[in-house]
Parts: sequence; C-alpha cells; structure tokens
Amino acid sequence: MFTAAGFAKTWEYVSLFKEGLICTVSMSFLTVVFGFVLALMLAIMRLSNFRPFRALGLTKDGRLRDGGPLLALSRFNPLDFLATAYVEILRSTPVMVQVFVIYYVVLGNVDLPNFKLFGMIRFDRFFPGVVALSMNSGAYLCEIIRAGIQSIDGGQSEAARSLGLSSTQTMRHIILPQAIRNILPPIANEFVVIIKESSVCWTIGVQEIMYAVSATKGATYRIAEPLVIATLLYFCLCFPTSKIIAYFERRMSRGSKR
Amino acid sequence: MAANANSLIRVTDLKKHYNKGAIKALDGVTVDINRGDVMVVIGPSGSGKSTFLRSLNLMEEPTDGSIVFGGVDITKKKVMNDEGKMVKLDIDLHRRKMGMVFQHFNLFPHMTILENMTLAPIQVKHVPKAEAEEKALALLDRVGLKDRANAYPIQLSGGQKQRVAIVRALAMEPEVMLFDEPTSALDPEMVGEVLDVMKELAHEGMTMVVVTHEMGFAREVGNRVLFMADGKLVEEGSPEEIFDHPQHHRLQDFLSKVL
Repeated sequence: MFTAAGFAKTWEYVSLFKEGLICTVSMSFLTVVFGFVLALMLAIMRLSNFRPFRALGLTKDGRLRDGGPLLALSRFNPLDFLATAYVEILRSTPVMVQVFVIYYVVLGNVDLPNFKLFGMIRFDRFFPGVVALSMNSGAYLCEIIRAGIQSIDGGQSEAARSLGLSSTQTMRHIILPQAIRNILPPIANEFVVIIKESSVCWTIGVQEIMYAVSATKGATYRIAEPLVIATLLYFCLCFPTSKIIAYFERRMSRGSKR
Repeated sequence: MAANANSLIRVTDLKKHYNKGAIKALDGVTVDINRGDVMVVIGPSGSGKSTFLRSLNLMEEPTDGSIVFGGVDITKKKVMNDEGKMVKLDIDLHRRKMGMVFQHFNLFPHMTILENMTLAPIQVKHVPKAEAEEKALALLDRVGLKDRANAYPIQLSGGQKQRVAIVRALAMEPEVMLFDEPTSALDPEMVGEVLDVMKELAHEGMTMVVVTHEMGFAREVGNRVLFMADGKLVEEGSPEEIFDHPQHHRLQDFLSKVL
C-alpha cells in the first residue's frame, strides 16, 4: 500500500500541499468572519420584536385581544420568519449541494476577477467557496448566538427592565456581555468544523488540501501517500485547536458559576 | 373605592388570564396603594400574589383592568400626552419610579457591586459617574456593605446579595418598592439581615408592596395586609384584623397552617 518510492514521488508535489494548507486555513478563517457577521444579522432578526401588524391585536380601547386569528397575526414577525426559514433550509441540505448551487447557479454567470491570492490561489474558485461556506456556517452560528443569548436567565433582563433600562440598553449592558462568554467557545469550535467541511470545496476547484491530494494522485498515480499527508495536515490543524478551545472553555467557566 | 388624594397606585379589576381564560392567575383585583403604605400580600402558593406584584410594573402584562400610577393608566398601550395626542406609553419611564426586589436577587454577575448600583442611574437618569458612585457608596454604607463595593456578586452571601439588590433599586430613588418574596431563597440565618433593611426602609416612610411568607414581618411592619387566594383578593385589613380576627374561612385555614 505505502512504499518509500511512493512517498518520494509524492514529496515532489509537497508545494501543492503547502498551498493547500494556506488555502484551507485562510478559507476557514474568512468563513468564520463572514459567517459570524451573517449569523449576527440573522440572530438579531430572529430575536427582534418587529411586528408590523401589532395594531391588529389591540381592541378599540387599546387593550390586548384575548385570542383569535388577529392576535396571531399581530404577533407575526416577518424578520424572524425569514431568518428562521433561511437557517432551517441551510441546515437541512448538504454543504456540497450548497457549494455547487453557489458556484454553478448563483455565481455561474458572474465574471469573477481572475487573479491569484498569495500568487497561487485562484480567486474565481476561492470566492464562491468562501461564499457557500459562509452562508452555511452563518446558519449554524446564528443558532449558537441565539442560544447563547437565550441562555441568559430571564431574571437578568427583568432586573434591568425594572430599573428602567430599555430593551436595547438591557441587551447591550446586561445580556450581550454575559452571552459572549457562552458563545465564544462554540464559535471557536465552528472554526474547527469549517476547516474539515472546507474540504468539499475541491469539487469546484478551490486549491485546498483535498485538491492537492487529487492533483498529486493524477500526477503520480499514488493515492495512499497523499491521503496520509492530508490526514496528518487536517489532524494537526483541528486537534490542537480544539484542545486550546477546551482549555479556555474550562478557564472561562471557572469564575462564572453561581 | 373612593378617590383618595394620597393614592399612589390604583389597581382596578386587574385580571391576568392564560390559555384564553382557562387559567385565571388574577381574577379581578381592586386595591388602592397609598403613599407610605407598607402593604404585605400573603396567600397560599398559586394564589396570584406574585402575579399581582409583577403586574404593578408590567413585568406581567395584565389581560384586563387598569393600573393607574402617577395619573396614568400604565396598562394602556397608548396614552394621551399633554397636547392631547395619543402617543405610545413609555413603560420604562414608569418602571424607573418603581424599585423591584426579586426572590433570586438577579444581581448582574459580570459587574461589581458598585457597577450594579450605578448602571441604571448613569444609563437611565444620566447622573454623572462620580455622583452616582458617591450615592451608591452611601447606600451601601447604610446596609453595611461599603467595603464590598468592588466585589463581584459571586463573592457575596445570599443575604448580602439581597441587601445589594435592595439598595440597587433604591439608587433610582423610586416612589414605591416592590418585593417579590425577598427572603424565600435565603438560608434561615440570613433572613433577619434582609428583613432589618426592609424594616428600616418602612420606618423611613417608603411605600412598599411586599409579597412574603414572613408572617412576623407582616404583623410587625405592615400597615395593611392583603390575603389572596385563587387570583382573588379575599380579605384585606390591618395586621391585627387579619391575624387576630380573620373572617374568611380560606384565611383562617391558611393561618392555621402557617402560624
């Protein structure tokens, strides 16, 4: 299966793996950043109190109705609905399908600038990959953020509101500072997940680690040795990262237990 | 109930229903809270006394009835302003005049005691930071916790936390203080220190509405006692009337169990 000659041959293409490593890391990093921004917007939409038909839920003398369809309609939040639909669709379809849809359908007829990042990574492949992965992880990160915010005890917001703070002030001074503590470790974990999931992007020609494997295979007719190298690279990226995260997670939870 | 110049909060026929009226947490409560009242609300669990208290500053949104506070019915979504126009009711404006103390303290764990106390005065009333801190320290001194100003809530005992929670509410200079079972989550040996602070507050003339199981406190400090059962106000009177001459059989039954 493995031969010394095989490794020697594979080694001739080691620069491909170096490029792949840089590509995987930068793609994952950008994905977490863009995914987080998207997730923040989605989470705000999901937690918003935007109810355009609010007035329908009130009786003539300005009191809340007892029940009925008008009350239900008055509670309808279109922002929440859109964000929820987005999250559920993205979480219920495979990443590979999403990558293909973005690359072939959404950006299929768009002429992307044809330059090379770091002098080697083709932007017209890299960009759709980042877009697809960001959209995917945005959905997951949204749920992480939402859960982090909702995990804060309701008494906290009651106490703040009883002191006269507005809902925005409560969010800013009371809820978010506490939620971020809960949110940071799972976000870092999502980074590890994306490093692994980004491997599907070789199917659209992004020059990440799996792309190096397939290129080396084509040139050397060896598969086992390139795969060993790829496995090692992924493991060396993910394992230490998750250990570091676990360490900080333990440290952060130390002071905050009630 | 006749109009009363001394009235601070007038609650009329307050109702809170769940499941389209299947559950009546509050079933028509009418009461006038006067300035300087120390009103103690007692009753079996599930009687609606907490819901009643939490409705007063709209932590719970009533289904029906009115709560007039400072001349405004705060249960209405829209109110008439000075120019006679209908505008959205700003509940935050009213809440800052009503201090609230919770069973589980609800101190902000990511802030020091001093920051807990100055947050609302600085953010809501725009008091300068130095002034807010000075006032907070004076309040902490009153409850014997000045030296803990820079501690975090986690470093305090339950009794200390609740004393901080009380002065945190006082820092907003409220017109009325609402206490929602303030000693129920405390170890027995810490109940006294919290009740002492509340007693002192009562003697200073603060208007207080207290939901509690501390019958001793109700008798000693309260000037009015409300007994609630099944979401209704069953009996109301002075501590002597309630504890020594209970009329309603529900109250007699309740007192025989708790006294």
